[in-house]
Amino acid sequence: MAMLSFEQKYRVRGGTIIGGDLFDFWIGPFYVGFFGVLTIFFAALGTALCVYGAAIGEGLASQTWNLWQISIAPPPLEYGLGLAPMTEGGLWQAITVCAIGAFVSWAARQAEISKKLGMGFHVPVAYSVAIAAYITLVVIRPVLMGAWGHGFPYGIISHLDWVSNVGYQYLHFHYNPAHMIAVSFFFVTTFALGLHGSLILSVTNPPKNEPSVKTSEHENTYFRDTLGYSIGAVGIHRLGLFLALNAGIWSAICIVISGPFWTRGWPEWWSWWLNLPIWA
Amino acid sequence: MKTLRRTATALAGGLLIAVSGCELPPVDTVQSGFRGVGMEHVQNPRTLEDSVRAVAQRVPQLASPPEEFGDPAPDGTWENVQVLGHLSESEFNRFKLAMTTWVAAETGEGCNYCHVIEDDGQVNFASDDKYQKRVSRDMISMTQTLNTEYAAHVGEAGVNCWTCHQGQVQPVNRWYFGDRPDPPAAGSMIERPQWERHYLDRNDVRIQSSEALSGDTDNRASLQQTEYTYWLMIQMSESLGVNCTYCHTSARWGDWDESPPQRVTAFRGLDMVRHMNMEYIVPLQDEWPSDRLGPEGDGAKVNCATCHAGAYIPQYGSTASHAVDWPALNQIGVAHGAGETTSAAMEDSDEDEESDSGEVSENP
Repeated sequence: MAMLSFEQKYRVRGGTIIGGDLFDFWIGPFYVGFFGVLTIFFAALGTALCVYGAAIGEGLASQTWNLWQISIAPPPLEYGLGLAPMTEGGLWQAITVCAIGAFVSWAARQAEISKKLGMGFHVPVAYSVAIAAYITLVVIRPVLMGAWGHGFPYGIISHLDWVSNVGYQYLHFHYNPAHMIAVSFFFVTTFALGLHGSLILSVTNPPKNEPSVKTSEHENTYFRDTLGYSIGAVGIHRLGLFLALNAGIWSAICIVISGPFWTRGWPEWWSWWLNLPIWA
Repeated sequence: MKTLRRTATALAGGLLIAVSGCELPPVDTVQSGFRGVGMEHVQNPRTLEDSVRAVAQRVPQLASPPEEFGDPAPDGTWENVQVLGHLSESEFNRFKLAMTTWVAAETGEGCNYCHVIEDDGQVNFASDDKYQKRVSRDMISMTQTLNTEYAAHVGEAGVNCWTCHQGQVQPVNRWYFGDRPDPPAAGSMIERPQWERHYLDRNDVRIQSSEALSGDTDNRASLQQTEYTYWLMIQMSESLGVNCTYCHTSARWGDWDESPPQRVTAFRGLDMVRHMNMEYIVPLQDEWPSDRLGPEGDGAKVNCATCHAGAYIPQYGSTASHAVDWPALNQIGVAHGAGETTSAAMEDSDEDEESDSGEVSENP
């Protein structure tokens, strides 16, 4: 099989974290590795359990194959932090273990590939932030609140019901300060991506009468003209990473403080602002 | 280095502000719907314990109820008793004494808060000269109605004067037109808070369309009406110390089939509040002296907070706020010694008393 130009650097021996040479091979274009095997194992088992749950109508009043309605629900609160019977949330617990196993294995596989390429761990670190947000939702917050039942259900509509109901438990979730920050980061991330994407598309698609694509000097000039400052070709990717990771991090913070560290309505939390000695 | 230190100080300061506004785990949660969909009530058990302890500390010391409440006092025992004629003399006195604690404790005047002292120093119990007495009679009558006709809201236990008054002649939580809303965060878009008519005669809380994409054929509710409903809901939430999901599933707010049963109780309660205001409290308008009136000249009115005061069940279910041991309040009273009409009413009263040992009547 023909190799892509960068694959020669990628297809080198070593850099594995566990297993030495055992799984240090490729299937077609795909690196396997010990963590690749683990990812496949957890992903396949978790998916199979989801399909099994859908087949028995777990977490629903009656069985359905309607993709929107299928839901794997966590245990009732009465089981606390213990194991629940399979048909009363045990399935959710098993699938959660599989999901975390698959996600963490994938991050470890990214780390192995980073080592093979001799580059930094930016990719696995960035991906770990997304994993951390998920673990915050289904492990850290439930443990802090004392029951696995506080996790969200695995279903397209049901997880939206969860989000809506949990939001209204705190009356008005938009008053959650960390939610405000997270939402702002999400918006700024997409805005920055929009600016960057439009810039790249415009410099790489010159008009018919112009001979070649523009250079970074052209990019810098455009943003110096319009914004007064150009962060540069490397800088925009650092900024993008910072914005995107903060969106995930503050999302995790905004949900972990709702319940464990604040039980009342979020609008009420702001009474410290109303009570500042400046005007109170 | 300096910048670093300054940044660290600013961060620490910000963190301190953020943390000072927070509570700590563990928390208490009660599941109120199917597992996993987030239908739960979250509480801080320390805060709740403090509130319950505060209620227990306020409980008044009253004479314990007799083993039997006795027959109605014989004709001629009292003069001008219009709503407590169904009581025996001793029960009448026990109740009257309790009222001085329940309602007039803060004044320290005892019986004289309502009753006139004549020039010779004697108390004229029959006189209706004081507005306090005329209002009290209306309030007793109102409480009798609540406990007999609104069991769907006040339950078997019922309510007594203490439930709302807490030893004060005016319950702390009351409202007038033109009052500034509490909390201020609820908004300031409406100059005259017409939404409070929900507690009087407005019944159009339902502003959501009953079906998707209904166009303008189905729903004619204005943005303003939406705001009224929102204020009412926030006021109810604040009054009861509960969140939206205590009574609703947020996917389908208006759907009774998917709502927790508490919503039915709350709905009956709103009905009850309207009845209290329209039939008993607003008609007292001419009785109030000027220092009892609000900024727009109307008398105090009740809402959910008047009884609930931030608790999902008034006084956290303390028996001191129940009507069980108070025949003066848990049945409809009759006038004392008023001829034939009285004896007819007395028979009704006897029937009431028989059923009283069991339970209060259902809401018709």
